[in-house]
Amino acid sequence: MQEWANQLCENRQFGSKMTDSKYFTTTKKGEIFELKAELNSDKKEKKKEAVKKVIASMTVGKDVSALFPDVVNCMQTDNLELKKLVYLYLMNYAKSQPDMAIMAVNTFVKDCEDPNPLIRALAVRTMGCIRVDKITEYLCEPLRKCLKDEDPYVRKTAAVCVAKLHDINAQLVEDQGFLDTLKDLISDSNPMVVANAVAALSEIAESHPNSNLMDLNPQTMNKLLTALNECTEWGQIFILDCLANYTPRDDRESQSICERVTPRLSHANSAVVLSAVKVLMKFMEMLPKDLDYYGTLLKKLAPPLVTLLSAEPELQYVALRNINLIVQRRPEILKHEMKVFFVKYNDPIYVKLEKLDIMIRLASQANIAQVLAELKEYATEVDVDFVRKAVRAIGRCAIKVEQSAERCVSTLLDLIQTKVNYVVQEAIVVIKDIFRKYPNKYESVIATLCENLDSLDEPEARAAMIWIVGEYAERIDNADELLESFLEGFHDESTQVQLQLRTAIVKLFLKKPTETQELVQQVLSLATQDSDNPDLRDRGYIYWRLLSTDPVAAKEVVLAEKPLISEETDLIEPTLLEELICHIGTLASVYHKPPSAFVEGRGQHKRLPGSGGSAESESPDAVSAGAANEVAAVIPSQGDLLGDLLNLDLTPPATTGPPPHSGGMQLGAMDLLGGGLDSLMGDESEPLGGDLGGSPAMGAGFGAAPAAMPPAFSAPVSGGLEDLFDLGGGVGMPLGSFCPPKTVWLPAMKAKGLEISGTFVRRAGVIQMEMTITNKAMSVMTGFAIQFNRNSFGLAPAGPIQVPSPLSPNQNIEVSLPLNTVGPVMKMEPLNNLQVAIKNNIDVFYFSCQYPISVLFVEDGKMERQVFLATWKDIANENESQFQIKDCHLNSDTASNKLQTSNIFTIAKRTVDGQDMLYQSMKLTNGIWVLAELKIQAGNPNYTVSLKCRAPEVSQCVFQSYEAVLKN
Amino acid sequence: MISQLFILSSKGDHLIYKDFRGEAGNDVINVFYEKVTALPGDQPPVVMSHRDLHFVHVRQGGLYWVATTTSAGSSPFTIIDFLNRLAALVTDYCGSLSEKSVQMNFALIYELLDEVVDYGYIQTTSSDVLKNFIQTEAVSSRPFSLFDLSNVGLFGAETQQSKVAPSSAATRPIQSSRDQGVFVDVIERLSVIIGSNGAVMKADVEGEIKVKCYMLNCSEMRIGLNEEFSIGRSTLRGYGAAVHVDECRFHQAVKLDEFDDHRILKLCPSQGEQTVMQYQLSDNLPSPPPFRLFPTIERDNRGRLLIYMKLRCDLPPKSAAINVSVSVPVPKGCVSLSQELSSPEQRCELKPQSRSLVWTVPRCSGGTQLSAVFKLDVPGLSSASMLEVGPVGLTFELPKLTSTGLQIRFLRLTPVQPGPSQRWVRYVTHSDSYIIRV
Repeated sequence: MQEWANQLCENRQFGSKMTDSKYFTTTKKGEIFELKAELNSDKKEKKKEAVKKVIASMTVGKDVSALFPDVVNCMQTDNLELKKLVYLYLMNYAKSQPDMAIMAVNTFVKDCEDPNPLIRALAVRTMGCIRVDKITEYLCEPLRKCLKDEDPYVRKTAAVCVAKLHDINAQLVEDQGFLDTLKDLISDSNPMVVANAVAALSEIAESHPNSNLMDLNPQTMNKLLTALNECTEWGQIFILDCLANYTPRDDRESQSICERVTPRLSHANSAVVLSAVKVLMKFMEMLPKDLDYYGTLLKKLAPPLVTLLSAEPELQYVALRNINLIVQRRPEILKHEMKVFFVKYNDPIYVKLEKLDIMIRLASQANIAQVLAELKEYATEVDVDFVRKAVRAIGRCAIKVEQSAERCVSTLLDLIQTKVNYVVQEAIVVIKDIFRKYPNKYESVIATLCENLDSLDEPEARAAMIWIVGEYAERIDNADELLESFLEGFHDESTQVQLQLRTAIVKLFLKKPTETQELVQQVLSLATQDSDNPDLRDRGYIYWRLLSTDPVAAKEVVLAEKPLISEETDLIEPTLLEELICHIGTLASVYHKPPSAFVEGRGQHKRLPGSGGSAESESPDAVSAGAANEVAAVIPSQGDLLGDLLNLDLTPPATTGPPPHSGGMQLGAMDLLGGGLDSLMGDESEPLGGDLGGSPAMGAGFGAAPAAMPPAFSAPVSGGLEDLFDLGGGVGMPLGSFCPPKTVWLPAMKAKGLEISGTFVRRAGVIQMEMTITNKAMSVMTGFAIQFNRNSFGLAPAGPIQVPSPLSPNQNIEVSLPLNTVGPVMKMEPLNNLQVAIKNNIDVFYFSCQYPISVLFVEDGKMERQVFLATWKDIANENESQFQIKDCHLNSDTASNKLQTSNIFTIAKRTVDGQDMLYQSMKLTNGIWVLAELKIQAGNPNYTVSLKCRAPEVSQCVFQSYEAVLKN
Repeated sequence: MISQLFILSSKGDHLIYKDFRGEAGNDVINVFYEKVTALPGDQPPVVMSHRDLHFVHVRQGGLYWVATTTSAGSSPFTIIDFLNRLAALVTDYCGSLSEKSVQMNFALIYELLDEVVDYGYIQTTSSDVLKNFIQTEAVSSRPFSLFDLSNVGLFGAETQQSKVAPSSAATRPIQSSRDQGVFVDVIERLSVIIGSNGAVMKADVEGEIKVKCYMLNCSEMRIGLNEEFSIGRSTLRGYGAAVHVDECRFHQAVKLDEFDDHRILKLCPSQGEQTVMQYQLSDNLPSPPPFRLFPTIERDNRGRLLIYMKLRCDLPPKSAAINVSVSVPVPKGCVSLSQELSSPEQRCELKPQSRSLVWTVPRCSGGTQLSAVFKLDVPGLSSASMLEVGPVGLTFELPKLTSTGLQIRFLRLTPVQPGPSQRWVRYVTHSDSYIIRV
């Protein structure tokens, strides 16, 4: 800091004119005192200089709030420059000195009447930025006037001010009728005013999802489209973003809007272009595909998208992320523009990788030669990361375009000849994928691969090579020698190599049983006796058992024909894609995640409109929303790629991505034997990529095995198997969801004879408020009605309460009231408190009750395993809270099953030193995710549960639910 | 919606901080600086998140221009574009962009920010509109001197002083309008990939016409382009060498009523700099690419790697390329370099950290051919490491030349300006992505 100050002193020497920089230099003590004197000086110039100094100190983070009264004194001036400086100060410090801020109010009110529109606007703008409650009441009258001001500059400032005020005090804005005035401003003659009104309304509407503040009808649309042509570029963005929320009535309206938006595509501001693209992409859905106009529109979209790529690298990156989405949705738009995605030498690496991704998506038979030539060049570049991805991309091309496979393989072989270590390793990994797509076609290259065995030092490449050797053991003469050489350092290998080596040797044994018996015994004993890894050990036991009991069955299981991998695994899941298309240009499109995944509490999912009447309308509803968090990249990272390698068991279970799944539990361990177990467990769901399904034959083969277990092994093995079956069993055993017993909410004494006891329960995805209503009065009761106060999660009755009238004395009835969560939200203390008003012919009664938060856990609260890991790491440690659950005597599987009935999903289980750790996730109705780690020690009735959540205030309630569910 | 906006020096000092919505404290500035400096090279730096806050930033003039936002609906594209525009605006108002000029003009920048963004909504970035509101005067960081001729040749004139504007003429605040003048730049960015067989695989030009205006009382400016200028693939007009581009975008202040018939752009220039027209052309360059390279790579009997390079400049004889820099990737483990160059002002340097050698040629006239021999000592040279040589990348500038052939026929101001005319036009093509595969 001192150094900087010195430097600044030097700066003063430049130029004879006084410069602002000297204000930064006064850092000595007593400066506040000096400033005070200067602020109270009579000379205007001196005052101004003093205020500048104050603001300079403020900027570098010094506390100059002590000068508040002196600065406010300078406010009454006709010098606009000074006034602005004072206002700047006020905005910063008013909040910390609310009482003193009141002093400024008079001047504000006076300024709002000033003949100079600049001063009027300045006053309104600043008042809105002073976030002090007391001031807001004084703000209303001036604001009302300014909203109707004759000067558009004042009106547009006032429009924004309504949004500011709404943020501080929403109720006040509604009561004062500012919203209606704001709506009127949409028809204002000045486009800048319209744009600001639209922006303000859109933001206010967002906080009230159900109000129809922005009721977009054809008339308003027309107004907006007219204003669009006259606005500044930034105003156009507001309007276009607002247009994107409109749902046209039919394809003709859709077309006419598209026609009026299309000219924006040639705007010089690329943000305008991208917003226009968003609107067009959305409205295009409504157009019939055979329409001429549809084709014209497609053609018009390509050039602006291409132009976006000529911007700065930052903009290019954002553009590419968006183009990536567009290409997946409508590849036809850019199918002729492959060349623009060719990587430039000086592109930053993140732009290069993104371009590569798009190149593969656009690759087709027509352009594959060109793409391959490029990729081959990239593979010789300097940047290691980029080279690796380029090599992988060649593999993806082979899998995607069958005609090119041969050429891809020969390209890869060329690259292997370079002997550049990382290129070779990467090439081997992708060749393994190619083998899996086109089995028995390119085995001639195996010899070349084997030559490079020694240079492989990365686990993934080693594992891939071992897989190849095991899979084609019968064609490699010295397969046993090769595998044996790996076996020497078995304990130093990483888990994926160990797993792979074990499987490969078993395969080898089944193919050449005579000469490799020793080898297989060696590997299995290494795996079962000397290893601490339960995965390795248990699977080792299974193989051992299989081989020793029924080699024929073993052969059927281990050497069964594997399903081919498909190229479509790299696509973003369609529901997510649809949502992301609606968010083109926003942060969501850069992260490739729905907004709900990174902004908590935003449950609104946008959807594309269906195309009118055409049979092609997509219905991806079958996919559970839980999958929405799954984000795919064309070139999967190590975990992804391996995760979808069936029969490879390369990945430790914690990183295997189980397919999204609505009710069942899936653990990585289940893809154990070539995926056969999936079908064994009666699990019919086909995962998205379609590459995890199993063949029934394998299932049968395995099913026979446990029956004939030799007793010698039964103890350790059956433990492992029981685990497996327990987990599987959990899928098919629906238990009743947890329902706490009814408690008395409203005693008869307090409510003139009306007694209500009740509880909350979640049934089939609907929250029910179950009540027993008893009439303990002497006369009949009629006309029941119920209302909730605002509450933390927006609970509200989904319909009127159904009480048969009249309710005669001493009669009691059971009422079940379905609830929804779209009501107004206000934070309650405690969080799960609910205040209820119930009315009958006698009076209105109030009571409050607490609902178990578990009724808010939604059915799709099972988090993707990798997302879970990432989220767990991502949430700060201070958001973690730990609780003890005492006196609970369940084993971990029962506990997990029990919790699952209340939509607390177990994602993974780990056993360390006899302690079971369950990793669980749940999602609240408002989109907040809660992650949990439940530790259960055998024989210890006290469980520990650690909860992590971005909104840590829910943790206490969640814990209570855990306790209630487990002890129930 | 922008929540906060701040400008940091490259060392992380706070220069400007403005909070528009009161959603987060100013402690996030340090969070941002830590994040951005700790970022590994392969991570996209564009959007970073911290709890609920998302940082969007650009670097301009050695400063970090950062905006934060909390809303998922805000568009990073808009924000980046805006930050770039803001940086341009600050440049216009302060004359130049540097840590110093921002510090000296903080009051002015706060005032600008106040008008440009309100409650996170971007209001306007047009200097025409803003000049009605801005009160503070800019403080120029460098005294303006007419004799500052350090950059002669910049504006395309020969050596007569009368035809050359001082370099500082175009870097002064727009408010101090004692000297009037209009500067028009036609800037083209060329990117070319030439395959190892010499075929041009890709050749793109991205061009723009920028106008920087210091005129106070200029109501209309007419810029005449080549009459044979054509847009799109099918609309070739006239005979001979038509100037042709694929796509064209105009600033919204440009009136195009005379464009179709006479290729005249009409605009009322606002003060400060603006991009009037952007255009691009791919694959159909009217002239051959400016450079060809003929490399030969071999091993000599002492195990050294020999690279012979012949660089031919195919520009018209009167033109020249300046600041040519040829970078050749070399094999890993290369320890030393000796070279034979054809003239003394050329330089060659081995850069081990980027594994490349860089050959710089200050000036290379059209029609000439340069040759060089590089001898590299690479211990353990194998035939595979020969493959690590290539692709060669060139960067250079072509002053007074546009690769599309676009020319400005005339520049007329209405009303006609009294006194000596102060209209400057310069053309420059530069390339930082000119790849020749070997």
